[in-house]
Order: sequence, then C-alpha cells, then structure tokens
Amino acid sequence: MLGTLLRFRLRRDRLRLGLWVAVLFLLSLLIVSEVRDTFGTLASRVATLRILLVTPAVLLFRGTPQGTSSGDFVAVLGLAFVALLVGLMSTFLVVRHTRAEEEDGQADAVAATAAGRRLPTLAVLLHVALADLLVTVAIAAGLLAGGLPVGGSVLLAAGCGMCGLVFAGVALLLAQVLPTARAANGASAAVVVAAYFVRGIGDAAGTPHPETFTLTPAWPSALSPIGWAQAIHPFADDDPAPLLLGLVASVVLAAAALALAERRDVGAGLVAARRAREHASAWLGGPFGLAVRLERLSLAGWIVGLVAFAALMGGLSVAVVHQLDQAGPGIATVINRLGGSNGTIQQAFANLGAQFGGVLAAAICVQAAQRLRQEEAAGRADAVLATATGRVRWLLSHLLLAALAAAVGLELAGLVAGWLSDGGEVDSGTWLLAFLWQLPAALVFLGIVALVFAVVPQATVPAGWLVFAAAVYLGIFGPLSGVPDWARHLAPFADVPAPALPTTSYTGGAVLALAAVVLVVAAVVLFGRRDTRPVG
Amino acid sequence: MDAVIRAEGLQKRFGRVRALDGLDLVVDRGEVHGYLGPNGAGKTTTIRILLGLARATSGRVGVLGEDPWRAAAALHRRIASVPGDVVLWPNLSGGETVDLLVRLRGGRTDTAEYRTVRRELDEEFQLDPGKKARSYSKGNRQKVALIAAFAAPAELLVLDEPTSGLDPLMEEVFVRRLEAFAAGGGSVLLSSHILSEVERLCTRISIVRAGRVVESGTLAQLRHLTRTAFSFDRGDSREGALAALPGVHDLVVDDGRVRFTVDPDRIDALLPELGRLAVTGLRVAPPSLEELFLRQYGDVLEPQEA
Repeated sequence: MLGTLLRFRLRRDRLRLGLWVAVLFLLSLLIVSEVRDTFGTLASRVATLRILLVTPAVLLFRGTPQGTSSGDFVAVLGLAFVALLVGLMSTFLVVRHTRAEEEDGQADAVAATAAGRRLPTLAVLLHVALADLLVTVAIAAGLLAGGLPVGGSVLLAAGCGMCGLVFAGVALLLAQVLPTARAANGASAAVVVAAYFVRGIGDAAGTPHPETFTLTPAWPSALSPIGWAQAIHPFADDDPAPLLLGLVASVVLAAAALALAERRDVGAGLVAARRAREHASAWLGGPFGLAVRLERLSLAGWIVGLVAFAALMGGLSVAVVHQLDQAGPGIATVINRLGGSNGTIQQAFANLGAQFGGVLAAAICVQAAQRLRQEEAAGRADAVLATATGRVRWLLSHLLLAALAAAVGLELAGLVAGWLSDGGEVDSGTWLLAFLWQLPAALVFLGIVALVFAVVPQATVPAGWLVFAAAVYLGIFGPLSGVPDWARHLAPFADVPAPALPTTSYTGGAVLALAAVVLVVAAVVLFGRRDTRPVG
Repeated sequence: MDAVIRAEGLQKRFGRVRALDGLDLVVDRGEVHGYLGPNGAGKTTTIRILLGLARATSGRVGVLGEDPWRAAAALHRRIASVPGDVVLWPNLSGGETVDLLVRLRGGRTDTAEYRTVRRELDEEFQLDPGKKARSYSKGNRQKVALIAAFAAPAELLVLDEPTSGLDPLMEEVFVRRLEAFAAGGGSVLLSSHILSEVERLCTRISIVRAGRVVESGTLAQLRHLTRTAFSFDRGDSREGALAALPGVHDLVVDDGRVRFTVDPDRIDALLPELGRLAVTGLRVAPPSLEELFLRQYGDVLEPQEA
C-alpha cells in the first residue's frame, strides 16, 4: 500500500527530481572548479580570507571561514547556499504532495481508498527522505568529481541533506497548520530563507581568529539547521555530531506533523482561512489597479532584491575593492574586463554593479510582461476585455506597471548604492546616474516581450527568458568569454551608457530608449489586431 | 423591428477548422433569445465575436448598432456578459471581483443603491463574498460572474451556458433574476445546450449546428422540435388507437415497447387514453437536444472540418 503510493508519487516527480539532482551535481562541481580557478594558490586564499574575516557583509551571504584548504573554501563559499537550495526543494516537495494535492482533490481520492489518512503523510516522509538522499549523493559526487577529499565531500553533502530533512519536517508541520497550500509553501520557504540569514547573522557577528583563518560564529547560528551543517566543518574538523542533531530535529517535527494530521479534515488547515475583504478598495477600479494588485508582491520582491544587491555593491565598493586590488592582479583584471577598462578598478566595479542592477531591472520587465500571456491563457484577460476596458489600455496598464517597477527599483538601488559607497572614488550622484541609465535597456526587454506576446502569444514566456539569458551572456559576460564584438552588441546591455567611467557615450542609451518605444508601439498596434487566445 | 444583435454570413476560421460557416443571427430588443446547440457547434465562438474578443474572418456583425470589434470598450458599458467557463483571479475575494467587474464596465459601486442590490444578490445566490476566489468551486465562480452581471444595469446580457455548475436551487434564483431583467426591458442572448432551460426562459430560439443557424423562430414555431417522448410495454394493448389521436407522431413498436412522441399541448388529451389502455412500464422523457439533433439531422455532433 505504502509502496504503491510512493511509487506513484515518485513517477509523477521523476522529471523534477532528476532536474534537482542534475542541477545540484553541476553546481557542486562548478563551485569546486570556481575555487580552483580563482583561488588556486594558498597565497590567494590567505589574502582573500584576511579580507573575508573582517567583512561581515560578505560573511552574511557566504559562510564560516574554517581554514585555508580548497575544501575549506568550497565550504565557506558554497555550503550555505547549496543547503538553502536543498531546503527549498524539500519544502516544495512536501507541500506539493500534501496540501496542494488536497486542494486538487487528488488526496480525497487517495484518502477514500484503503490508504487511509496516515499513510499518505508517511509516504511523503519517505519520499522526501529518498529525495534528500539522492541530492546528497549528487552533491557528494559533484565535490568528488572536482577532486576534493572523500570524507569532507560526503559530510558536506550530508549536512545539506540533513538541512533538507529538517526543513521537510517544518513544511510537513506547516502544511497541517496553515489554511492553504500557497500559505504553506510561502511560510515553509520563508523559514528556509530565514534560516539562511539567521546563520548569516551568526557568521557576520562571529569572532574571527586571524592566526588560524577561522571564525567562531555568534549564537544565532546554533538556531539554524544551515548553521548546524556549517558546524560540521567539512574538510577541516569533519565532525559528524551536528548531523545527529538535525536528524533528531526532523524526527520530532515529523512526529508532531503526523499527530496533527490525525486531527484535521482533509483539505483544511488547523488555522482557518483568513476572511478577505467583501468589497473592493478604491484602488481596484481599473486595469492598472488590477495589474498592481496581481503583481505587487512579486514586484516588491524584485525591488527589494535589486536594492539589497545595490547595497552590497555600494558597501563593498570602497573597502573590498581596495583590498582586492592589493590582494592580487587576477580579480582586478576580471573586474576591469567586465566593468570597463578605461577607468580605475573602483569605477569599473561601480559600473559593473550598475550593469547587474540593469540585468535585474530587465528581469523585472520580462517577468511582468509575461504576466500578459498568463492572464490571457487563463482566460482572465477576456474577463477584463469583455468590460469597458479596451485592449490597448489593458496592455499598456501591465507594461506601464512593469516600467514603473523597473524605474523605482533602479532609482532606489542607485540611491542606496551611492549612500553606502560614501568616500569612494565614485560619488553618490554618479552611482544614481549609472543605475538610472540602465532603464532604457530594461525597457527594450519589456518591448521585446510585449511584441512577442502580440505576435506569437504562445511563445511569450519561453521567448522572454531565452532572450534575457542570451542578452546577459552576450552583453555582460561576453568580454570574459571572447564573444566577438558584433555579437556582444546584439545585447541591449552592451550599449548602456556608463557614467561611472571617465569616458562614455550616451548615444547607446538614446537609441535603446527609442527602440523600446518603437517595440511597445508595434506591440500595441499588433495586439489590437489579433483575437485573444485562452488555452482550453 | 429594432435588433440588438444582427449577424449576417458570419465566418470564423481557425486554421483549417471552420468554427462558424455563414452564421445568421438576429436578436430583437426586449427579447430573451435562446441560442441552442450541442457543444462544439460554434456558440462560444459566436459570443466571443459578439463581445469583440475575436474578429470574424468574414461577414457582417452589429451589436447595439455598433461594430463589436472596433467599438468594444464603449459597447461593453451597455453589455454585461458571463462566460461559459468563469475564471477569476485566485487572490481576489469574490466580493472584490464583483466590484472590480462592475467598475471595469463603468458602473459605480459607491452608491447606496448598488450596495443594496449587491447584498440582495449575495444573499439570493448564497455567495460568501469574503472568501478568496481560489477556494471557490465552479458553481461559486459562476455565481460571482452572474452577480457582477446583474448588479449593474445593462441593455444587453450575453450569457454563455450560465447555469452550468449551478445547483437546481441556484438555477431557480438565476431564472427569477433573468425574468426580472427581461421584464425591465433588457435583451438577452442565452446560449445553452439544455433544451428545457431555453424553453422555459426564451421567447425566441436559434438553433446552431456546425457553425450555422439551422432553425430560428418563436417557441410556437419550433413546437415540432420539442415533442415529449412516450414509451410503454406493448403487452396486448392496441396501440393503433393512439396513432389516430391528434398530436401523436412517429409511433413505432420495437423490442416489445411502443414508442411515440407527442406535441406538448396534446399531452393532457393523451393521458386518459393511456389510462384506458392500462399500460405498464410507462416512461415519459422530455426532449433532449441530442435526440433532437439525431432525429432532425441524423447528425454526429462534431465540428466540421473545412
């Protein structure tokens, strides 16, 4: 019975699980080879650790320095992030097979059979344990393939797998408590991300030991499963004890979830769904208000991400860039190649920061414009177009919102970066300008996706990300990978003005702005001529 | 007479598929017009064209005297519509959705009158407006769209199978509301594949089949299409007497059962006859659209390929 259920679910999940395994294997391998390439010598590692130990902002996103070997470096740079991914995979899997299935009615079908009420929950536990085991093997294999020692590789991977199990327990518990699958998914993912930052705070506030190049994390790390995984110190101390702690925690969480599963109705959480408004607010009156309502959370998330990134770049620009410059010519060369070789390393770094800000702003535009197709495919565009809202107005409402979000994000990012880089070579006004000049390029992406939507609506979503990925590769990383100049200039990013550099041309920015306008106008005209095509 | 909908020779192709193939349709002001056809006959395509969501490949179409494609936005201030498959925004509540749809149609939601109407509609349709649409069943989504359509004044209601997903009690509420709307002078196009529903509500009916309207007229004119089917065990009864009665058609005997159809206004005259024959195993079935199409056109109910 349990076996049947498990087999059925594994079948449904094989593609998704296979993808996770492949991605985590490649990511682990990539981190090792990255460390080999960039920090190949002991001298370069020591130099970087000196900076790392005194730079809380980087420790927050990375990990606990634990020594000078390549393996130690992989643990510092990769462990927390990989553990975060495994945690997310586990929580998504658990919610998908508990509450989400209940909402689709699949769980009723199973609960009505001899499988009963407890078995599906048990099957999910086994399923997620199996999935975590698989990704543990994949991570270990990736690290070994990169040539790291066996013991450390296995323990690092096991630490990540342990995080997966603990977070699966959290998700299973939240799936019993919260009113909807969406809420359970969101809350579990929030716990995983919070755990990442709790250990980040522990690392950032930890006590550095410069003589051994190690760091003792502050107490918050002990609250986070990812902090436990770091405490293994794979490749340095290889201490498996924290694994046991994680195992105990996941068993306790799972047992609590099973006990709760006995008490609730299929499809309902222990906390009832919150009552929503019975009347629309004054905001929700037109297509623009509707677009805001639909997009506000995801756009706010993007903007927060963009500003956080800008804060990091601005904060790093003075101290770290200076020290990196001293540390060795390798990194400085890379920054200058990416960010512009006609300026100092700080100027190139500022320009690089603005460029990445532009990439995020473009992603905002791509994602928000794809919403057009999602609304159309679901049939919700028709619901609006069957009212006194014209097609042009509906289309422009969504595009305007995307453009505004990108503009606000870049403006805030530029202000924050400039503020945090106080005292550097690049003044705050220039930081702001550098970010703002990214806007025309971002709007070109908005225009491209809108045009695809107007002409080949079915292709909107894949084409959007494809164009985006190609442009990032050509325009941003082109200089590193020897892409010919003409190909690089196919990407809007390549022609963005760079106010942070001593010399730059603004022609490209004007051309991009014009292109964006032309693309949007073409999209409006062509969309005005076609039928809407809901799917189904 | 003044027509609110007039379509002539309407054609719509999707690639090689001809969804509409020279469709003519006239709906007069003030009438409740039943638009009847099996699934796939072109009902929804017609409605999408009438609402300006799709453009006809050829033919002429006017709604309230305007071109529905060019004047879509302006027209929709005067038209309320309910799609066949209501899709809502999952994270908006039912109440928010109703207000939004009314406002999008140019209606006001801040008047005391509107609030009263909406409260009445919420109660009649038993809709909990404070729940997110994600938790609604198909029937509840249908109610949201119906409430939004009835809550703000319109000249023309375009309804695509509006009762699918409603339970019989709610169907009754819908029927009352529709009758009140029609009594107030409003015009209605009501698409359906349920003959009895259309019979009950509509003053005129058009029957669509494979992208064309094949019959159109008042109920009386189409009376021959809506005969009730009778059958009973033959035993030793003498069904010959029945065949002679006025209003009895298609009398056959097969498999030991007597089968025939009767005009609706002749049924009361027939019943005493059946009593006299002391028939056993009597079955009376209202006409279904499928049977009608089978009998009338010997048809397979699939869209035609061009």
